[in-house]
Amino acid sequence: MPGTGQGGASPPSEIGHVTCLGCGCACDDIVLTIAGGRIAAAERACPLGLAWFGDGRVPDRIQVDGKPADLEHALDRASTLLGQARGSILVVLGAELTVSAYQAAFALADALGAVTDSVVSEPAAAGMLAGQRRGRATATLGEIRNRADLIVYWGVDPDRRYPRYRSRYADAPHALHLADGHPRTVVSVSVGADTGPSDADVTLVLTPAQELAALAELRAGLLGRHLGGDALPSGVAELAGRLTQAKYVAIVHDGEPTAERRTPERAEALIGLAQALNTPTRAALSTLRAGGNRNGAEAVSTWQTGFPFAVDFSRGAPRYQPHRRPGTSEGPVPSAVLLVGAPESLPDPLRSSIQGVPTVVIGPRASAAPFPADVTIDTGVAGIHEAGIAYRMDDIPLALQAPLPGLRSADLLVRDLLSRLTPSSRAAR
Amino acid sequence: MSRLRIVGGTVHDPANGVDGEIRDVCIENGRIVADVPDGTPTLDARGMIVMPGGVDIHSHVASSACNHARRLLVEEHSANPAAAPALEPGTSPPRSGTGGTLPSTFTTGYRYAGLGYTTVFDAAVAPITARHTHAEFDDTPIVDGGFYILLGNDEYLLRQVDAGERDRARDYAAWMIEAAGGYAIKIVNPGGVQAWKSGQRNLTGIDEALGSSRVTPRAILETLADAANTLRLPHPVHIHCNNLGQAGNVATTLATMDALSGRRAHFTHLQFHCYGSGPEGKTGWSSAARQVIERVNADSEISVDVGQVMFGAATTLSADGPAQYLLQASSGRKWTNIDVELETGCGIIPYRYEERAAVSALQWAVGLELFLLSADPWRVVLSTDSPNGGSFEAYPALIQLLMDRTVRDEQLKRVNQRLLAGSALADGLAREYSLNEIAIVTRAGPARLLGLRHKGHLGVGADADVTVYTREADLARMFSLPRYVIKSGVLVVEEGQLRRAPAGRRLRLAPGHDDAVVPDLRRFYDEYGTVSFDNFPVRGLRDAPLEQG
Repeated sequence: MPGTGQGGASPPSEIGHVTCLGCGCACDDIVLTIAGGRIAAAERACPLGLAWFGDGRVPDRIQVDGKPADLEHALDRASTLLGQARGSILVVLGAELTVSAYQAAFALADALGAVTDSVVSEPAAAGMLAGQRRGRATATLGEIRNRADLIVYWGVDPDRRYPRYRSRYADAPHALHLADGHPRTVVSVSVGADTGPSDADVTLVLTPAQELAALAELRAGLLGRHLGGDALPSGVAELAGRLTQAKYVAIVHDGEPTAERRTPERAEALIGLAQALNTPTRAALSTLRAGGNRNGAEAVSTWQTGFPFAVDFSRGAPRYQPHRRPGTSEGPVPSAVLLVGAPESLPDPLRSSIQGVPTVVIGPRASAAPFPADVTIDTGVAGIHEAGIAYRMDDIPLALQAPLPGLRSADLLVRDLLSRLTPSSRAAR
Repeated sequence: MSRLRIVGGTVHDPANGVDGEIRDVCIENGRIVADVPDGTPTLDARGMIVMPGGVDIHSHVASSACNHARRLLVEEHSANPAAAPALEPGTSPPRSGTGGTLPSTFTTGYRYAGLGYTTVFDAAVAPITARHTHAEFDDTPIVDGGFYILLGNDEYLLRQVDAGERDRARDYAAWMIEAAGGYAIKIVNPGGVQAWKSGQRNLTGIDEALGSSRVTPRAILETLADAANTLRLPHPVHIHCNNLGQAGNVATTLATMDALSGRRAHFTHLQFHCYGSGPEGKTGWSSAARQVIERVNADSEISVDVGQVMFGAATTLSADGPAQYLLQASSGRKWTNIDVELETGCGIIPYRYEERAAVSALQWAVGLELFLLSADPWRVVLSTDSPNGGSFEAYPALIQLLMDRTVRDEQLKRVNQRLLAGSALADGLAREYSLNEIAIVTRAGPARLLGLRHKGHLGVGADADVTVYTREADLARMFSLPRYVIKSGVLVVEEGQLRRAPAGRRLRLAPGHDDAVVPDLRRFYDEYGTVSFDNFPVRGLRDAPLEQG
């Protein structure tokens, strides 16, 4: 099996319109220069994008019990470990996969009666649960770009972890529905250590303890009411006025872990404010998500099972277990683990809970897993070595190319495992 | 070579003039043939009813909007686990899922096939999310699937309407159908969704202008109806009128039909657009079904699907953002709104129609009146706008209401009567649909309206999609549990059990366009889009576009 970086004397080539999964912005305007089987340049990529693509080389090893093995032996061993496990099998999905690979992985989890989880972090999960309780008022990024005349960065400066969010989306020039020379108003709300952009037109500074009260006050302000209570900065009332006077408000917040601890109430309050703003004016809540194909994993999980993450197939049909996630004290104790994805993405609590449990890792850099694994099979990365589909943070599905094809595909490996495990695995369980 | 002879069934194949004749149906390699050799395996259908596979002209089954709705329906899915079916070993791996008004994808495919439906169209796909729809259909087994693309609030399209560039609008529509892998043009609340997104909130009359532009619902409707017809698309423009769900909206509906007079057009979920006002001078609701269906009966260019409301759980799910905003304001239920860049909107609200609720009862009655007063079943198709008026799984109960007056009248007695005074249903409608009429409104009619020459009939050369029902007095039960379902020649339901779940085909078109539209379109996307123009078209689809002609 040839890996990437096999060299060759072919002249450098350019590949345009490549989608970068360095963060959830999923910019699809990257131009890669390929030379000698490596990525030599990634034009337009931000620092996160440059790190995502690197030179495109990833390890290309297959190991069983820490020793080199051939693919057939590794897949055979993996299917034996998973097929013979008694008790909970845990299937964990990383973020570096194509939609097609997630489709296969859920098929495998279903056949195994496994408990699944993805690398969705706790704050993102809280946001999703709040959205399931209340609904949402949101927009795709292009809508924000073309309409929003007031952008409120709530406890986030996108430049740090979503470097092109502002220039490509929220603050991009040439907005279809904003007159040229009619600049947007940018509001920076800092909450404790979660600071907003420093170049905003309006700045509001809150302590974490004031945050929920401020959100409640803003919502009350839409109804012309004043809640009073804890002393809030005067900027809160001023912001309430700006919100209702704008034509289209975008409230931008970070869905991923940040410096300050996030509560479910905060997620609900942000959703509630964005929804309520749609009576006096129009508004959307934009949730920033990290890199890879996170929204793709959640989309596939939702259409195949009805739930976006934390799906338990052990009783023969999907059950939603967001409060009994693996790695927590309430979660199941696995008897075998299959991680499809990069091993470094496995959350710490999960790592410690699978010690001594038979473990199979199929994904990019599997062989470099920082925890013991019985079988590791290195694969390529979605959008670098594997073509397909990935989702932007706003659930827009984008085309992925394979600028460096030729590595083993996680998708095909999981389908191979599935064919080895069905239908006998279901009958045996 | 796979062959089958379905022996001795009572065949209802209205497209070929067959109304309850006892005859064999022969299948070879997925198609209907005139005869098969002796020794071919047989299926004993003596005493049973044989029809073509069902064709759903309007459903919401495979779209980004559906998936946002699924995410919202966590309680419903938790209450409806769906175990994997016991498929024949060696076929596709059986998949578990969840049910409810918007089941998970595999469960959707199994349940449609389990009702004898073998072709389904998703009625509302934002082209920028077309990849998503194709991926969902890949996980929706058995049924052949296609979808309509949302163009009635598309920014580039509206620009062409404003500029009077109707030829360019037509070429854009053709380009977009091919780029998305879609099948037909859909209009939802023409101009109204754009008004919602821009702060104008909605357009409530077909001559109301969008902002200061020359764009009106009338201009959008004319432009896209003409585009579909000049492109010779097999299905005409598929229209969800302005003012959905509003008391008094009959005026808008009739004005829309008048505006398109002389053009082929399909009016969808008509039930939601047939409400009168209250008594003279008062606000309120009444049925205006008779007025509208008489207009439909008199105009052979018009076709409709009903969008029947069925009591129980539903999920309202629509590109009509402003209508959904109004519904959340009046219902207080949880609500998702998503503005989709350059194309459309999306609103989602879980809902429930109650017999005791006056407006629910009126909606139920209006739908039945449309069915029962229709003069031409070929142009009045059965739908619930699933899951908006109720799930597709309610089709058997709806068929029973149409075929059995006793059941219908019993239910009529139970429902809230407050808004039914003077309605045709309350005054008494004796009509009962025949089996042949059911075969028309669920198969032959929609297939013809979709221009699917190989669907909806059992003539030689047709796709071998066949449903065999056991006769039962309880018609809801009979249509819920077909004895056999055959899809493309494969026996998928056997003795009432789902046994095989082959992949369905994708039904899509590539109508052809003048390439002169492309440079201008590229400039527009480069300026205002967030997806590279070259990445926009969906590529690598498994099934080739259907041939037009």
